[in-house]
Amino acid sequence: MDFDAYWRAVDDELATVAARPVLDPVPARTTAEATSFAVRLTSIGPYRIYGSLSIPTGEGPFPALLQVPRYGSVNNMAHVNDRSRYVVLTLMHRGQRLADDGFQAAYPGLLTLGIDDPATYIYRAIVADCLRAAEFLIGLAEADPARVAVAGNELAVLTAARRTGITAARVSDLVLYRAMEARLRSSHYPLEELNDYLRAGSSAAVIGRTLDYFDPIRHAPSVTAKTLVAVEDADWYAPLVNALPAGEAYQVTHLDGTDADYYDAWLAERCGVPALSKFIR
Amino acid sequence: MRDLVNTTVDVTRPADFDDFWAAGLAACPPLDPVLTEMPTLSTERVRVYDVSYVSYGGLRVSAWYAVPRSDGPYPGLITIPGYISEPTIPKEWAELGYAALAVAPRGKLRSNAVFDPGYPGLLTHNIVDHHTYGYRGFYLDVVRAVDVLLGRPEADSDRIGLAGSSQGGGLGISTAALRPEVIKAVACGAPYLCGIMTAPTLTRSYPYEEINEYLRLHPRDVDRVRETVAYYDGLNFAPAVQAPTMIYLGLEDDVCPPETGFALHRALPGEKTLHTYPNCAHHAGLPGVLRVVEEFLADHLKPGS
Repeated sequence: MDFDAYWRAVDDELATVAARPVLDPVPARTTAEATSFAVRLTSIGPYRIYGSLSIPTGEGPFPALLQVPRYGSVNNMAHVNDRSRYVVLTLMHRGQRLADDGFQAAYPGLLTLGIDDPATYIYRAIVADCLRAAEFLIGLAEADPARVAVAGNELAVLTAARRTGITAARVSDLVLYRAMEARLRSSHYPLEELNDYLRAGSSAAVIGRTLDYFDPIRHAPSVTAKTLVAVEDADWYAPLVNALPAGEAYQVTHLDGTDADYYDAWLAERCGVPALSKFIR
Repeated sequence: MRDLVNTTVDVTRPADFDDFWAAGLAACPPLDPVLTEMPTLSTERVRVYDVSYVSYGGLRVSAWYAVPRSDGPYPGLITIPGYISEPTIPKEWAELGYAALAVAPRGKLRSNAVFDPGYPGLLTHNIVDHHTYGYRGFYLDVVRAVDVLLGRPEADSDRIGLAGSSQGGGLGISTAALRPEVIKAVACGAPYLCGIMTAPTLTRSYPYEEINEYLRLHPRDVDRVRETVAYYDGLNFAPAVQAPTMIYLGLEDDVCPPETGFALHRALPGEKTLHTYPNCAHHAGLPGVLRVVEEFLADHLKPGS
């Protein structure tokens, strides 16, 4: 498997594309806590991607937080709690709402788009979008280079693995981790997309080979950031947690208020800011 | 300290509320449903169809329909998506014995060719005018999905239920109120769109934060916004709901404040059950509550019978 060469080629291709950022103020989302902007950047393709950026009020630099996209057409804007403490960039990758000029991702459908070949798999470009966003965020004058975090699904692991300077990663809701095994555990989407695709005539060996490039466990050894992985089944996730040099597991309680407060406090501690709860007590 | 249970959530009911919705339903053109079987999405146990139908304003709306391969008839179940979610193919409900229709109201990806307010955006689209508010057609699209099921021979028209959480929970209430003679059960999680003007004062989370953002830019519109959303507030629909209704709430829900869920429970006049989950937020007891939802729907809709 040409894993390293594959990802070096992504980096090389991205390096040939200028980001050409444009920032537009968003007055409705600008408050006493932070100033907000809509950001557009060029990623590979070339393709213009979208981000929602906010910069806290006050004297910086501030810790920086990249919120990588979830699997779905829409990502919520960053909560004001995050906007008040971090320079936050919430990314919409190509095909998601606000980044869908020229390409609209289908749900179901995105997970298998181009999956027969690692070179054409849509996630190759989606990862590049995340890397571009990380480069932009790290380069902002308001962002403290000693405190750069990434939060989200496996895209957070891949981003932390491929960009130096990320010091903390908070990971949950993984889709591409052991996906060829996980697809057999239920008929729930999005992994059911893989089963649908195989029913349509593709080969498990073929799509398994492609997915192997994107499984976070393959990228984990390169992650230097302190990494929290939210786990439901500790045994299932143990290989990933163990492969992360500074990884730790958080056993999800399914008391999602409690879980959310833990995630917030974990990242806040690593970034030197106060913990905050979204639920106003 | 918040009083989650007893906080009063005031919503004025417009005098022409019933007439407004009756007019919207009367204006809907013929349904003209189109079903296309999707063999590659179907399984040994479930047959899947891509569905479209005509709704308010002549707009064609999409849905996924999943039906057991075993002998019918089956109870019908409409699943309603959340605000930022796309409907998935409801195979898991078909596996449990339901003719399950997952609707994508206008603005969702497969129904956004004509109307696409975006996200964020839907909640405040034309929010100063109840006649053109973006949610008007969206609400009616779900009601029309009931008509799709009523037209399916394999779906038992005497056993139709609704299930959803967040926006899906809120629209379960409005749909049950607008089709009280048809809907026999509603599973309603973390209901959104209830106490619409109160909720943004209790949270800074999206989507209600969209209203705070709108009013930040348009502070003089607050009365017109209040007037509009009163036509869409679940608390104003609740008195017309006749179906047994199960509500489940997370007591630390930052997205849909629990006060508004308790207010909905108080406003429902008929058979109702309330499940509350301490230390839970907008998941409102997931994943364990799913089993409770399944049992509630099975008790009232009798799949397999």
